[in-house]
Amino acid sequence: MKEIKDMSRDLLERREVDGVLGLRQGAYDIVEPHVFRDPGETSLLVTEPKWPMAKTAMKVLRDAPEGFRLAVVARGCDERALTELAKRNQVRDRNLRIIGVACTEARAKECLCDRPYPREIHGGRQEPGADPFEDPRVRALLEGDSRERMNRWASLLRRCIKCYGCRNACPICVCVPCKLEDEIWVEKGSVPAEMLVFHLIRAFHLSDTCVACGACQEACPVFIPLLSLQLAMRRTLKEEYGYEPGMERDRRSPVLKNAFEEPGTRKSVPAWVSPLEENHD
Amino acid sequence: METASERNEGKPVKILVFACRWCGGIGAERAGWKRADLPASFRVIPVECAALVEPDAVFRALAAGIDGVAVLGCHVGGCRYDEANHAALKRMELLKVLLDTAGIGGERLCLAFGTAHEDHQFAAVMGDFHRLLQGMPPLAPWTGGGDEDSPRSVGT
Repeated sequence: MKEIKDMSRDLLERREVDGVLGLRQGAYDIVEPHVFRDPGETSLLVTEPKWPMAKTAMKVLRDAPEGFRLAVVARGCDERALTELAKRNQVRDRNLRIIGVACTEARAKECLCDRPYPREIHGGRQEPGADPFEDPRVRALLEGDSRERMNRWASLLRRCIKCYGCRNACPICVCVPCKLEDEIWVEKGSVPAEMLVFHLIRAFHLSDTCVACGACQEACPVFIPLLSLQLAMRRTLKEEYGYEPGMERDRRSPVLKNAFEEPGTRKSVPAWVSPLEENHD
Repeated sequence: METASERNEGKPVKILVFACRWCGGIGAERAGWKRADLPASFRVIPVECAALVEPDAVFRALAAGIDGVAVLGCHVGGCRYDEANHAALKRMELLKVLLDTAGIGGERLCLAFGTAHEDHQFAAVMGDFHRLLQGMPPLAPWTGGGDEDSPRSVGT
């Protein structure tokens, strides 16, 4: 993408940044993430394929000397992931700039993405996102009564080879130590992973953090549609609190706040709370 | 196909209760003292606060063969730890969404708020929860107990 190349070169030439993290078209047709430092080198910068950049950026910044200014060629999901990482003090975003790439409509559909563009777009055009709940793939997974869903998910998750790819690919999963490696929670050496514990712990830890980039399911070698586990929780957060992970740098997750600060749209006490307080004056 | 009632003929419904030690826990104990009409198959684990119950512990319990988990805390506004039960409430609401998505059913998680002297209501909540769980299908496909359409995979 020409605009992205030009902007990267300009930033490096004007010394506004010390490096640009993007994809480099290398020898033998190998595309890989690379920190461009020389303005002349930016002719090799490409924006395809989709590549989860947030964790790479985190590692680059962590290893870089103090004050290293980095620009990242980021899609909408990469930018949101970086915002969530910054909230958790994993990225020093003072020294971070985003070179925003907007995705095409076709890609948004493919990725089930409802916001396929970063806050500021430097390359590409803002296209409308796709509603993931309209997508036939998601509908097929979430439809039916709970018994059907239980059997469906159980047979999908039974494929798991416990490679931890979903966790490792996830731009937000950074905890050390990780609960999925703790024997108290997850039995060691059993394959497939104990489904209910392994997968649902992973899914729930990302409940208010998942930016729906889909890196987990793209990394999955046995094609488990993991993103569909997160979508309903994302929708609940949006409907209830107007909260979208990765959108506001200074807003903490509403799940961490009390019911006065973030009461939710419905009421302070949700209707599902069993009425122990009935007959109580 | 095994129906819920067939399952429940031989097997009692198991309920695990996490009760905050200031309110729900005392209420549970008093219900016992008073010999309230309670289902027999629940066990109470007292915790310092409902907010200390990790959602992960709910998964662990369900995987271990528990049919339903109840989390009892103080009234909203009456928490000993200021607003900790708000956090518990919001978290558990999200957890119900995930349980629903995965087909386990958010109803398997019961959240209730009460005070120490509301023991009669503890009995009512437990009774209702017990009846609800009796009507639900077993979690066998999830816990590896076999299911209807796919063969069990080979272990290591």
